[in-house]
Amino acid sequence: MNQVADPARAGNLDPITIEVIGAALASIVDETGETLIRASHSTNIKERRDCSTALFNAAGETLCQAEHIPIHLGSFIDLVPHIMRRYRVEDMRPGDAFIGNDAYSGGGTHLPDIVLAEPIFIDDRLAAWTVNLAHHADFVDRGHAHIYQEGLRIPPVRLYRAGELQSDVQDLILLNCQVPAERLSDLRAQMAANRVGVQRFRALAAKYGTGTVLGAGEALMDYAERKMRAAIAALPDGTWRFADVFDNEEVAEALPLSVEVTVKGDQMWLAFDAPDQLRAGVNMTYTALLATVYYVVKSVLDPGILPNAGLARPLTVTAREGSLLNCKHPAAVNGRLQTCQRVADLVLGALAQAIPERVMACSNSACTVAYFIGERPENGKLWVYLETIGGGSGARADKDGLDGVHVHTTNTSNLPVEALEPEYPLLVSRYELVADSGGVGQFRGGMGLRRVYQATHECRVRVDLSRQRSQSWGLFGAGPGAHGKVEAGPGVTFNGDSAVLKPGQWFALVTPGAGGFGPPAKRDRAAVARDLAEGVITSATAREAYRRDG
Amino acid sequence: MSQWRVGVDSGGTFTDICLFDSRAGRVEVWKVASTPDDPSRGIAQAVEEGMRRVASDTERPAAAVVYFGHGTTVATNALIQHRGVKTGLITTDGFRDLLEIGRQKRPDLYDLHADKPLTLVPRDLRLEVPERVRHTGEIDRPLDEERMRAAARDLKVAGVRAVAVSFLYGFVRPEHEKRAVEILREELPDAFISAGHEVAPEFREYERLSTVVLNAYLGPVMEGYVRNLSPRLEGLGMTVAPHLTQSNGGVIGFSTAADLPVRTVLSGPSTGVVGAQAIGALAGFDDLITFDMGGTSTDVALLQGGRCGLATEATVHGYPIKAPMLDIHTVGAGGGSIAYIDAGGLLKVGPRSSGADPGPVCYDKGNSEPAVTDANVVLQTLNPQHLLGGRMPIRQDLAKAAVGRLADQLGLGLMETAQGILSVVTGNMARAIRVISVQRGHDPRDYTLMAFGGAGPLHAARLARELEIGRVLVPANPGILCAMGLLMTDLRADFSVTRLLPAAERSADAVAAAFAALEERAERWFERESIAVPARRLVRSVDMRYHGQNYELSVPVPAGAITQATMRALAAGFADAHRQRYGFATDDDPVQLVTLRVEAIGVVQKAELKAQPDGGPDASAAIVGRRPVWLPEAGDFVATPIYAREALRAGNRFAGPAVVEQMDATTLVPPGMTARVDAWLNLVLETAA
Repeated sequence: MNQVADPARAGNLDPITIEVIGAALASIVDETGETLIRASHSTNIKERRDCSTALFNAAGETLCQAEHIPIHLGSFIDLVPHIMRRYRVEDMRPGDAFIGNDAYSGGGTHLPDIVLAEPIFIDDRLAAWTVNLAHHADFVDRGHAHIYQEGLRIPPVRLYRAGELQSDVQDLILLNCQVPAERLSDLRAQMAANRVGVQRFRALAAKYGTGTVLGAGEALMDYAERKMRAAIAALPDGTWRFADVFDNEEVAEALPLSVEVTVKGDQMWLAFDAPDQLRAGVNMTYTALLATVYYVVKSVLDPGILPNAGLARPLTVTAREGSLLNCKHPAAVNGRLQTCQRVADLVLGALAQAIPERVMACSNSACTVAYFIGERPENGKLWVYLETIGGGSGARADKDGLDGVHVHTTNTSNLPVEALEPEYPLLVSRYELVADSGGVGQFRGGMGLRRVYQATHECRVRVDLSRQRSQSWGLFGAGPGAHGKVEAGPGVTFNGDSAVLKPGQWFALVTPGAGGFGPPAKRDRAAVARDLAEGVITSATAREAYRRDG
Repeated sequence: MSQWRVGVDSGGTFTDICLFDSRAGRVEVWKVASTPDDPSRGIAQAVEEGMRRVASDTERPAAAVVYFGHGTTVATNALIQHRGVKTGLITTDGFRDLLEIGRQKRPDLYDLHADKPLTLVPRDLRLEVPERVRHTGEIDRPLDEERMRAAARDLKVAGVRAVAVSFLYGFVRPEHEKRAVEILREELPDAFISAGHEVAPEFREYERLSTVVLNAYLGPVMEGYVRNLSPRLEGLGMTVAPHLTQSNGGVIGFSTAADLPVRTVLSGPSTGVVGAQAIGALAGFDDLITFDMGGTSTDVALLQGGRCGLATEATVHGYPIKAPMLDIHTVGAGGGSIAYIDAGGLLKVGPRSSGADPGPVCYDKGNSEPAVTDANVVLQTLNPQHLLGGRMPIRQDLAKAAVGRLADQLGLGLMETAQGILSVVTGNMARAIRVISVQRGHDPRDYTLMAFGGAGPLHAARLARELEIGRVLVPANPGILCAMGLLMTDLRADFSVTRLLPAAERSADAVAAAFAALEERAERWFERESIAVPARRLVRSVDMRYHGQNYELSVPVPAGAITQATMRALAAGFADAHRQRYGFATDDDPVQLVTLRVEAIGVVQKAELKAQPDGGPDASAAIVGRRPVWLPEAGDFVATPIYAREALRAGNRFAGPAVVEQMDATTLVPPGMTARVDAWLNLVLETAA
């Protein structure tokens, strides 16, 4: 019965209509994102904004993604095709909403990222999809040997059928969650966001005609493709290689990672090499790799390219199936962000050889995470909290790196201490920049952060970090960023990545600094003096790296 | 003897003054060049010249001024140009870097070369002192007064002129902050001291910190401004206390403004909203979208029932500010914005602007990239020979050549390209208006578009059509609306307190007590502003949410004593608001009251414009000529009558296409719209039925 709506031929639309519809699509995804954040209950969404929204056409191509978290594109890329493989359009109805999270049957990149997708029907035909993703702070304190340990796998199934909640499906999901009440509230916020997406898209189609809106969507993809091709064509042709290692608590030895970037004409090939996938949560699905590559190439070549499917067309991304960077079932994937960050920096390292003035040195190259779980003293219910901590961002060819920020594929806010402490039995006693953590250079790498947590009731903590053994590289004679590390207070013992905190005990997470750019000897003397006065560097570094006395 | 009420809008280019004789009901306007290095000179000059034109006392021309209000960009400009003072910061031990870390987000998601806004206090002037309060108000660690005093002395040695203090949970239990302020005043008696619990007593430590730091950074600048302006006005014989507009659109006395400069960063644009509000009320339109389009930027705001929404927090020039601010949205596009074709082949307009100098190509001052104004000159919606009532000659041939170069690249005709530039800029404006309307759940079609600023009236009808708005209102003097608005508004101040309480009957007493305290503060403000008791008004509201959410919806508090019935009404009001905004309401989660607010209004005598006698529908006497204007509806030039605005009489009616010219603005009435002049000489454009 239901069919797919046809777009108008792109060639028949004038550039001005296309521009106006592009702005309208962008404002729809902005508005759905704002709705999700404002209606949500969990700290991870309402304050840390760990969520994304997007619109897709009926073929599952990204029409527009809101500017939230780049890695979330990885969960979106393959979602609609997965749904279409399982369900016939003829059987879908307005008001159906699909829920999913699985890395191997739902297009996800890790299980806590739960996606809600709703088809938009106009005149009985499928015109588009409104989709949002929320990182649910749940599925913690499990294992990471394979994906079955990491939480509940949800293939795309209907949570709503023609507007009716399928409460049996919802009950099954909630029973597998550690904090079901919070999950339920956040799922309602996700539904509210999609409701707005459907309304706004239908209003846009009513105004311009469905064919025109979809045609403009295709034209915008062509436009993004043209811009991407133009930016690639402006690069010199050639092949550049770069290698680094991956290290963290979960892996016994440093793992070699490398990339070979080839530019020829208006096309780019990125061929990655990595060891076999591991019995650890650091594996990346192919869609996570794609999302990472799209992010970094767009950032270097033209940050203004529209975030739609067109930008991917000139890029060819390869990695051996079954390897760390293109894992297959049943690899665990929860901590894939650590690896994604390293991949983004690998590409920067390769491109630095071609266009040094446009890249930056290695960022902190990690996404440092603390997961907490405990029982609420007042009622014995489980509480779960996770947060990610920024670090240094790489120095640029003409300026220092940014201090204490989220880099590359992640972009979540911190949680205000005044929002954290009233909700969880924790106390944050310090949150500060780390002296000497930015790599020395003509331009200094960004500084890492140190955050100190104290338990007020017993809880378990697990940390996820990287760069404890390796360092974030500098470029062109500059120094590397400082290591990431965990500092355990008296009486606290980390068993691998986990520890129990008794009331009053503390630990600190220190995130890595970033690499510098250019030889330290060329650093402006006034900048060295200012760094010293501000305690950004110690007098030892001023003396040894910059040859400054006093 | 006449009594003059005076409004002054001190802008970047001009200082406008509007003088109103409250006895005779006469309005006069005057304009002088602004003096950005010390705006008080331009203001004093405007007052002196303006008053000399109307008052007989040449020695003391301002003696007849009974009210003085103005909008200022002093705080905004000091912020944009980083011309605040050397400022120190005192924080809880372990948190001095929060000012730099912020919410740990990078300034741009994709641009590797973007930078954060300058941190206003360098790290060596950010000092930590041992102290810690918990969220419950319990003291975890008492303030170390010796360390506090040592920090104050260090800042004195460093030569700071202002100090901000912001401790964790200072809004819950302010005694540590209060003690720190005492010590700072002892050690640095000449410095401007600002504390978190006074400036922004609400949760989220970074945004509060940012606000209090900005307040300190701008404090001495605003004090200096007040110190310069007050004697200048007194020297002209003025005896009344000056007032200025805050970012919330409320007008307050100078001393309050000097204590809380962070509340005046949107003083300029909010003055325009206040003016639009007053003119709209007079003309009988309460639901308005204001469209203030200038040379480089455009401010838009939405007024429902005559009121503009108040944001309790916004990011201004990269710095978060927790202060009541009118929900004004600014886009970087105006008449001077430049049109170009980007790498992907699409036509784009702005945010780069040709500014006042060199200005658009048609000014012939050396610019060759076409601006929005050039497109209008090509289309002849703007006079193709001269602007500013004949004072500025322009070169249409240069504008045509510049737009033509774009047309060649696009493969479109000259006229289609010029019209395309307008369509793109109109699209940008429409997106801005959607942010303040659609995204806040308001349908723009229910509103009247009020157009002012130099370029607003020219683009308003097209913008209205894009948004399907059926009515446009162009005030009599669109260029000086801000100055005029100052004479048509009441005094206003906002008071609020955060009290996390369940929205249940048992909270009635606590809510009543909190409102009583807020109302007492409002009464003290009324006293300070010398507002007579019958002129005092109070409006109460509560920000509410489901327990667990962090964003609130505002719910009005019914009149009368706070009782259990009030609490039930609030809970019902919240459920309605939540259903309207998010499409659902639930009984699963308890509802919380978060912030209680009281708005205090001091009703003052306002400029009352006199209704003009009806001059009949025939507008033909105002026609000063015809010229061909290119209209997309016809796809061609159409001979269009040109009306002189000053010759239009109340009651006049005419149909589009038509162009209305006045000294500082041009209004386009496109085909399919009619225009009428109301009794206050506003031009009302409506879609023909």
